[in-house]
Amino acid sequence: MALQVITGNRLADGVSVWFAGAEGWAEHVEQACAYAAPEIEAALAQAMPPDAELQVVEIRAVEVVRENGTLMPVAHREQIRARGPSVRADLPAGVWRDPAAPLPPLPTAHSSSPFAGIYRYDEYDRDFLRQRAREFGAMVERRRKGELSEEEFKPLRLMNGVYLQLHAYMLRIAIPYGVLSATQLRQLAYVARHYDRGYGHFTTRQNIQFNWLRLEDVPAALAALAEANIHGIQTSGNCIRNTTTDEFAGAAADEIVDPRLYAEIIRQWSTDHPEFTYLPRKFKIAIVGAGHDRAAVRVHDIGIEAYRNAEGAPVFRIFAGGGLGRTPYVAVKLREDLPVPELLRYCEAILRVYNALGRRDNIYKARIKILIREMKPEAFIKLVEDEYAALPADYCLLTDELVQAVAARFPAPDLPRQDGGVLKAAMLDDRALARWVKQNTHPHKAPGYVSAVISLKPVGGIAGDASADEMDIVADLADKYSLGEIRVSHVQNLVLPHVAKDDVPALFKDLVAAGLAEDNIGLVTDIIACPGMDYCALATARSIPVAQRIAERLAPRQHEIGTLHVNISGCINACGHHHVGHIGLLGVDKNGEEVYQITLGGAADEKAAIGKIIGPAVPTAHVPDAIAALMDAYLAVRAPGERFIDTYRRLGAAPFKDAIYATH
Amino acid sequence: MPLIDRKAAEIADPQGLTLYPAADLPASLSGPSGVILSPDADLALLAPHLPALAVVTITFPKFRDGRGFTIARSLRQHYGYAGDIRATGHFLPEQFGFLIACGFTSFETPATHGPAQFAAALAAPHQPGQLLRRTLGRALEPV
Ligand code: HEM
Ligand code: SF4
Repeated sequence: MALQVITGNRLADGVSVWFAGAEGWAEHVEQACAYAAPEIEAALAQAMPPDAELQVVEIRAVEVVRENGTLMPVAHREQIRARGPSVRADLPAGVWRDPAAPLPPLPTAHSSSPFAGIYRYDEYDRDFLRQRAREFGAMVERRRKGELSEEEFKPLRLMNGVYLQLHAYMLRIAIPYGVLSATQLRQLAYVARHYDRGYGHFTTRQNIQFNWLRLEDVPAALAALAEANIHGIQTSGNCIRNTTTDEFAGAAADEIVDPRLYAEIIRQWSTDHPEFTYLPRKFKIAIVGAGHDRAAVRVHDIGIEAYRNAEGAPVFRIFAGGGLGRTPYVAVKLREDLPVPELLRYCEAILRVYNALGRRDNIYKARIKILIREMKPEAFIKLVEDEYAALPADYCLLTDELVQAVAARFPAPDLPRQDGGVLKAAMLDDRALARWVKQNTHPHKAPGYVSAVISLKPVGGIAGDASADEMDIVADLADKYSLGEIRVSHVQNLVLPHVAKDDVPALFKDLVAAGLAEDNIGLVTDIIACPGMDYCALATARSIPVAQRIAERLAPRQHEIGTLHVNISGCINACGHHHVGHIGLLGVDKNGEEVYQITLGGAADEKAAIGKIIGPAVPTAHVPDAIAALMDAYLAVRAPGERFIDTYRRLGAAPFKDAIYATH
Repeated sequence: MPLIDRKAAEIADPQGLTLYPAADLPASLSGPSGVILSPDADLALLAPHLPALAVVTITFPKFRDGRGFTIARSLRQHYGYAGDIRATGHFLPEQFGFLIACGFTSFETPATHGPAQFAAALAAPHQPGQLLRRTLGRALEPV
């Protein structure tokens, strides 16, 4: 007979707890009281007195079975809540930190990164962040006292980057336009080590997520990060999120306009925007200035391409209404040649139309992409243009003076080194180095330098995860080789943007010693994967193990296969960008079994396209076989040097479909 | 519900004020009058009446519904409305600074969040404001 237990997450630390009747809430499912169907209503009433919300949130009943005398939930998700992430056997669910334990001094107390070409924050910026951390502390206090209900508190905590996940609270920290100094990375390592269980997860939106925060520790963690000018403001919630850009911005040889300046201006404008902080839904802006789209601007709510007009002045091409999730769309173009002074004004006009008219009756139809499609792009553009024309003349005008004031705080890095031929010579007799250089470096605008990508995709590891120790190592390498500067890429890797070519052999040696020299950038094992059901409360499937099995299976052939983007999401929300992967995998639940839908032909660059579903979903265990069969088919028909995506565009889905569905 | 101003001080309505739902607004008004807008209000229709209105009340069905912020800003920026803009319905002390920045001047405090909570929000050291304010100066503020 079906048994049920009552479960929830504790308000103070987010730990999953199980109702044990008169004994209150227990931390292990085995301690729970199990109820037969007729008893469950009364038990729920007992577990939920009027002030229950002050202790435990998301209280509900879940089905369990009794196995060898102990209780185990039936649903995968609840099993993972009871046990911990399936991919981290070393991290069982439950209480892991003693909040009374003393902490060492912050890294910022004894180090700074004087060289990094990052935006120079000042005391005003830090004070702003310290006060925001205190303000969040006050919200937590008000929530605990009952002055704010959970319903009211939730959007406020989200706007500070705090989610409630399966095992604890998750804290999402913005890395504005992906730029970090070594000192900032050390501060992140500190938070990972002391407030989390020793690691963090870099995401596709140039954020880092900590998975194991106690709500009560969040204000202190935010205060620690404030000292290094980092924060979680507007990393969630229905507001303007962290503006993302190209990870090689300010360094790439092919750059036309450095987007960081405008991304910083947008950051300052959108932070605490009084009018646009309670939008119908989240709002993501990306900007790129390289001619080549490395920031997926066409799948953002607003996408901006910076280029130069005939006179050589920077101007913008504005897109809107791109997005992934359950209704993926490539953005529509609103404007060409928008002059710099008008940038924020035009964004204001777009947001004002969206805030007034975006749907609020259905969360799944609330993004700007739906508004634009429902009212037709021409009608939307007309409203935006009318709104824009009616703005007061000086409102939000980006004067030259203002742009210069922000630009002055981006010191240009000093790049005096010439190419002394050291790297070329070393590559001649070190094939591993040569392969890593080919795969993991990107041309720099200063001829004596390259940008070097540090892969966070070890075969069999967890995409985007970095331990606190690894973060410290990368920070040291940045100080040693890259003017103290690090970038976070939108494919979940790290970048040392300014490495002298002559230093590359030494850097490679240090990376090998640290186990960070995976030479797989842009290859089949450089998989984008969201956290999936091992962490995420919204998941329908586990994305990490699937990514691990695919990488293990195809690693031996990855260099032969060449450029290929595999993207995996654990549910329809598409955080792993599966729609725009050359191969996309979406995990869905089919009668309690995790299966994967395969899409082909997606792309996130200037040829942005939404992938097409190729056939029936494939059981998890068959996914590596299916991808391997797909690769066999591709290698058999590709023209010399042709990338998978180009073969697909040339031949369509048929040969690949046959390959996948012939295997089982 | 208690009515407060931007300093969280309790205030009273102007003597004899009549508030009309937008649909019932008479063509000609006598005495101090105001209108109550729902968040989907069409301001173009209201525009001819604005000079005669002492108060425009904007309803927040839920604090998460941010349309009222845009209505207030549009009233100030597009329509040059200089009278009292009042918030009513469900909004939070945490939003006080944003409401003021968008042009609201009076607040009918919700039942669950009395004037004392708004006064406390005002007394907190951090008052929300765009970072760019410092660099942009007055151009960010409502006109
Ligand atoms: C683990 C907690 C997370 C939660 C609860 C979450 C939630 C969501 C939801 C609900 C959506 C759909 C939005 C919509 O369609 O309107 C979404 C989209 C998205 N998320 Fe996440 N997400 C999480 C983690 C991540 C991670 C780790 C990444 C990066 C790897 C990420 C990046 C994105 C992106 C790029 C999109 C799609 C773009 C868009 O249309 O907005 N999210 N997320
Ligand atoms: S795609 Fe789904 S499972 Fe993956 S992180 Fe996003 S919400 Fe969670």
